[in-house]
Amino acid sequence: MESKWRKIWGLIGLLLLNFVNNVSSLSLTITKVDCVYEIVRSEGDIVSGNFVVVDHHIFWSSDHPGIDFSITSPGGGILHNLKGTSGDKFSFKAPRSGLYQFCFHNPLSTPETIAFYIHIGHIPNEHNLAKNEHLDPIIVKIAELREALEAVTTEQKYLKARDAVHRRTNESTKTRVIGYTVGEYILLTIASVLQVVYIRRLFSKSVGYNRI
Amino acid sequence: MIKDSNVPMAMTFPPFLVVLLLALSTGPLCDAIWLNIPKTGTKCVSEEIHSNVVVLSDYVVVSVEDGQTATITVKVTSPYGNNLHHRENVTYGRFAFTTEEAGNYLACFWSDNRTRGSGEVVVNIDWKTGIAAKDWESVARKEKLQGVELELRKLEGAVEAIHENLLYLKSREAERRSTSETTNARVAWFSIMSLGICIVVSGLQVWYLKRFFQKKKLI
Repeated sequence: MESKWRKIWGLIGLLLLNFVNNVSSLSLTITKVDCVYEIVRSEGDIVSGNFVVVDHHIFWSSDHPGIDFSITSPGGGILHNLKGTSGDKFSFKAPRSGLYQFCFHNPLSTPETIAFYIHIGHIPNEHNLAKNEHLDPIIVKIAELREALEAVTTEQKYLKARDAVHRRTNESTKTRVIGYTVGEYILLTIASVLQVVYIRRLFSKSVGYNRI
Repeated sequence: MIKDSNVPMAMTFPPFLVVLLLALSTGPLCDAIWLNIPKTGTKCVSEEIHSNVVVLSDYVVVSVEDGQTATITVKVTSPYGNNLHHRENVTYGRFAFTTEEAGNYLACFWSDNRTRGSGEVVVNIDWKTGIAAKDWESVARKEKLQGVELELRKLEGAVEAIHENLLYLKSREAERRSTSETTNARVAWFSIMSLGICIVVSGLQVWYLKRFFQKKKLI
């Protein structure tokens, strides 16, 4: 498995462009464990991202144990490990190139939907070029500008996912308020009607005053 | 055929995959996520997209077992249930559409059970929406831009996308605030009404029972 991925990565690495601009923003429904893999092309790239648990099906209690999240580098070392979160941001400098693994682990059996966004930013520097090539400083500046804009975009995706979570909570509150209140009124009316009917029945056998 | 001496013969790359990888990587954005598709069951990815957004996605099956690539079935549906893309027994493909409705767009992958191996199928999915799906090559050709100018134009596109996103977030926040305020008002109203109903119903009970006992000449 490892050599196959290394070979694939090697092939892709041959077709490198100067700027690598990476966006993938998706939602995944996980039941137990699920992993997303990304290829980091050169060492020193900044990997940043965030994830938010979108679909909390909570009925009674408002504390859910949360999702465990871990990032594994291609060498097998664990770079980041979070337990019991409902969403977080992360950012690190890739120590080496290769396939990185972003794993979500769900301790409960109810499926959870997680919206995640991973961005790999690369700023070209002198190391990647041949000896007689020059790196135009404006290209580096533009790459830095682009990375700054991508940071803003990453933050916006996070805010968007959080907004979706809050919206779900709000809508659920709205339906609960209406549903439970109308149910309460109906139950109240039924209870009082039943009370009256019962008392009538108690007194309806015309046996006399001293019956009860 | 690309041959690598470190890799056994069974895992050499079929030529169409090489061509496809070449095509994918010379596009504007060339990285993607890899997903494991379990042997049974389906793996779905979704994204909540608003209307009038271009979605462009490529998928390639990466895992190779016993010299042949595993095949998958792909289905992409819109939030109203319309089928946007449906392919069976493929190893690679691409779909592109412009969203008409705002909502959750779902792309589901199934592994075909014909694979003899016990492993899971690994699929490379490149999912681009909005500004990321823009074809900069054609823009560059049309307006004859190159080099620094093209890069600056891309930056301008990114800034516009950020601005649009910000406006969208702002409008959603306003919507949420109005929902919160109506819910707040409703909670107050409904509680007072429930108190009122309680009083009315018990008043009716007392009145009815009094009339009943008077009729029965018990009072």
